[in-house]
Amino acid sequence: MSSNTNFYSKKLDEIRDQTPRTNSEYDSWRKRTLQEWNQKTGYRDREYINSSGIELKEVYTPEDIPQDTESRLLGMPGEYPFTRGVYPNMYRGKLWTMRMFSGFGTPEDTNRRLKYLIQHGESGLSIAFDMPTLYGFDCDNPRSDGEIGKCGVNVTSLKDMEVIFRGIDLSKVSTSMTINAPAAILTAMYIAVGKKKKIPISDLAGTVQADILKEYIAQKEWIYPPEAHLRLIRDMMTYCTENMPKWNYISISGYHIREAGSSAVQELAFTLADGFYYVDMGIKAGLDVDEFAPRLSFFFNSSINFFEEIAKMRAARRIWATVLKEKFGAKKPRTLLLRFHTQTSGYTLTWQQPLNNIIRTTIEAMAAVLGGTQSLHTNSYDEAWALPSEEAVKIALRTQQIIAEETGVPDVIDPLGGSYYVEWLTNRMEEEAYRYFDEIERMGGILDAVKAGYIQKEIAATSYRRQIRLEEGKEIMVGVNKYTEKEDQPINILKISKAAQKQQLERIRNVKKTRDQLKVDRALQELEDAMRKDDVNTMPFILKAVEAYATIEEISNVGRKVFGTWKEPVIV
Amino acid sequence: MLDKIIEGIYRGDHRSISRAISIVENEGDSENTRNLIRQIYQRTGNAHIVGITGPPGIGKSTMIGNICALLSERGKKVSVVAIDASSPFTGGSLLGNRIRMQESLTKYGVYMRSLANRGINGGLSRSIWDTVKILDAAGSDFIIVETVGAGQADLDVINLADTVIVVLGPGLGDEIQAIKAGIMEIGHVFVINKMDRQGAYIAMKDIEETLAMMPRGEWKPPVVGINSLTREGYDTLIESICKHRSFCETNREARLRKFRTELQMHIDDELRRKFQKDINGVLKDEGRLEEYLLRRIDPYSAAEEIVEEIA
Amino acid sequence: MSEERSSEHGKNQLSFKDRPIKILLAKPGIDGHDRGILVLAKAFRDAGMEVIYAGLLPTPEQVVETAINEDVDVVALSLLNGAHMTVFKKVADLMKERGVNDIAIVGGGTIPDADKPKLEKLGISGNYGPGTPISVIIDHVTKRAMEARKLKESGQ
Repeated sequence: MSSNTNFYSKKLDEIRDQTPRTNSEYDSWRKRTLQEWNQKTGYRDREYINSSGIELKEVYTPEDIPQDTESRLLGMPGEYPFTRGVYPNMYRGKLWTMRMFSGFGTPEDTNRRLKYLIQHGESGLSIAFDMPTLYGFDCDNPRSDGEIGKCGVNVTSLKDMEVIFRGIDLSKVSTSMTINAPAAILTAMYIAVGKKKKIPISDLAGTVQADILKEYIAQKEWIYPPEAHLRLIRDMMTYCTENMPKWNYISISGYHIREAGSSAVQELAFTLADGFYYVDMGIKAGLDVDEFAPRLSFFFNSSINFFEEIAKMRAARRIWATVLKEKFGAKKPRTLLLRFHTQTSGYTLTWQQPLNNIIRTTIEAMAAVLGGTQSLHTNSYDEAWALPSEEAVKIALRTQQIIAEETGVPDVIDPLGGSYYVEWLTNRMEEEAYRYFDEIERMGGILDAVKAGYIQKEIAATSYRRQIRLEEGKEIMVGVNKYTEKEDQPINILKISKAAQKQQLERIRNVKKTRDQLKVDRALQELEDAMRKDDVNTMPFILKAVEAYATIEEISNVGRKVFGTWKEPVIV
Repeated sequence: MLDKIIEGIYRGDHRSISRAISIVENEGDSENTRNLIRQIYQRTGNAHIVGITGPPGIGKSTMIGNICALLSERGKKVSVVAIDASSPFTGGSLLGNRIRMQESLTKYGVYMRSLANRGINGGLSRSIWDTVKILDAAGSDFIIVETVGAGQADLDVINLADTVIVVLGPGLGDEIQAIKAGIMEIGHVFVINKMDRQGAYIAMKDIEETLAMMPRGEWKPPVVGINSLTREGYDTLIESICKHRSFCETNREARLRKFRTELQMHIDDELRRKFQKDINGVLKDEGRLEEYLLRRIDPYSAAEEIVEEIA
Repeated sequence: MSEERSSEHGKNQLSFKDRPIKILLAKPGIDGHDRGILVLAKAFRDAGMEVIYAGLLPTPEQVVETAINEDVDVVALSLLNGAHMTVFKKVADLMKERGVNDIAIVGGGTIPDADKPKLEKLGISGNYGPGTPISVIIDHVTKRAMEARKLKESGQ
């Protein structure tokens, strides 16, 4: 219930109390030097604010940050509150994982692309699925017509997963799957593929996104009402905690929240609020926070406002460590670590003058590295228009390799630590995030806030404001509203042929013909019974259905029958 | 052309219904509108009109979707009209309430139309009354009219609906007291939505107590708790609507009251129209206005004088 | 209101051009990317239009039925999942099937140049991509709406 004080409002007060209110050195410098200079030489008269609406001064000084910043707010790398990094040696220990998101067309296409990337030195696999898969529809559903393989690879049954990983040693790679609503089904398929390859389940390494809260907030790929999905995720969490020590079951994602139009602060606040919910859920499911929380990882966006992104990532680490320790009573240092994957911003890419996107991605990738990311995906320059071509993917990967091998940027940990500006901005982002946590808490928690559409409305409002600023020329996108050229789309785009759809339809026809239908029916019935009982873990039943070659839609339909489907709140 | 539309309305053809509503919405009380209503009026009077009002975000749209489904399953033909207030600044409006009822609309072929309040004096009132007639003539058993929030549209709905349902929910806190002040008299059925939420039961008791303190009419408004996700309480809700329908059918006074309101609206319009030209003349007469400015005559006396003159 | 309007029957109707444009916004495929469509919904509203937002995942059939029931001037379709050639076409085909020729269809999203003439041929115009100024889109919608109204008027 709403009350006037909660954990977050108390933290917020604390932060405000520590924030310096005056800056005499800055004030006197303005009077002494700046104003006269401005009058004499002129200045660019515009608003100086970042994406979060935070107003920026010309310069920052030691007076802008609390006096005990080093000892209390920063700490050393690998030490509480982990502002400077989660590991003591950071990139001297191990470079970030260069993980390129891929997957398109048929399972055969994706299998080829994965092998290509492994050959070029990629150290982790990451798979994108097409829209029907993400929403739990089979390729032969009429709604899937025209969508097969368009935004990722199509998976209708276990057969498809077997093809995707053909010839790839699952004990040597880690696989990240961007899947949410049907996350448990895809995890089960991965387990089944591993079993066929005789790899012990405990050796399977990877991540499923399974962050359903941000689906309702931003990406909007759901099947059932929130409570039903959360229950299935809880089952998966419990199952994986017991059986799959190398499986990260939730990747709490701000990426999509940002792409949906939020500011950096909103991305920070809503993502962490989702994270707190999952921690709470695990604790309520009877898991030990020090046991399961280390398996939660994060996924942030790195956009184009360089310092704001770095400050966001630093603030995120500090907030997570503080809240896990003080609110959720985590004891082990490992539990307090916010480890995250980063992807450069898709929204900042333009189809106009597409080669400029290489520069944007480079800057965003730099921010991610300076922000201390654990893994990174760099977008390809042609992605404003379609799925990336092989050549473009290679340049994107090379961008990371150049940062890692040539620039010297990773040589020193948190090189921006101690910058008055970056420290001040980190504090401000943190404060703004706590303001949101407090508000969400007063609304009855993130789930209620999402179901009421509050978070979605906040994001839509920010995104509309930004668009208006672009229209008015208050914000600039080079090639879009300034320095424009008359041009056609010059990109050589990767076309997904209708043949992918045909091939998938054929495969599923074969699967349905050859599978043991009785076994399928029985498995689905057992799954239904399990879903109806809240205290039964559904995971083993999903695995059984998958192994019987039940399709993703058949399995999802069991849930649709038991839980119903979801319609979004009206937010316009 | 009108004949074809009217023939389509009787068939229940959605396109014809749409066109007819566009006529009453866009053309105001034109000859077209008048002819249309004149011709179909004989065929109206069968539908029961259910007005639904309550604060935004309380779950009205989902509830309407469920009501549509349950009434349709009982073999009733249902239509829906949703009214939204346009922005007073740009005249634009943005309606998304269809989203949460779409499934029922599709499944049962329910006709649903959004009407925006375009801010013309009285324009909305008339087009709502006429829209309802078109849907009535199209064979609807129930016409559900949804309004968002307060304002003129709400008053209209209260006047034209046979059954007014007021939807409230938990968590409105002090607001509920303020809302209550305006709505306790108008509701025939009170619904507390989101019964699964904390505070819902208290809200329900609160409304029941307030109702108990009010002077009793022949109809005692029930308070129904519902949960749209599980459809809990919906049977009671449908029953309450049907009960009130029977009550109305035997209540000649209520039907006369409704007719009186509508007639009054049209008479006002006719009167204004008849004398508007003369009134305009007076309003343009600077000499007269000068008198007013110089405080030689007060507005009451001036108006009395002018009306006397014109009539 | 202006005095001339209310002096005679029907004179308080809004003229052909002054009447707000009524537009249906829909994403008829399996696609949750709603950033663009939400921005446009607000922009159209602020430009004085009456906007009906169909939400996520409506089927082409639902889009057409809604367009007819609401008697809109324009249906604006958005997809960023690459399925526009299949799904936009379905909407256009269904419109034709139901004999509707006086509701304009416009499109937008990630639509390659090569697909645009094909969509135009189906009567789906605009087909704007990310980065298009809102004013350009509003002008186009207005132009198509007026064309549709002319057809409506002559059909009535």
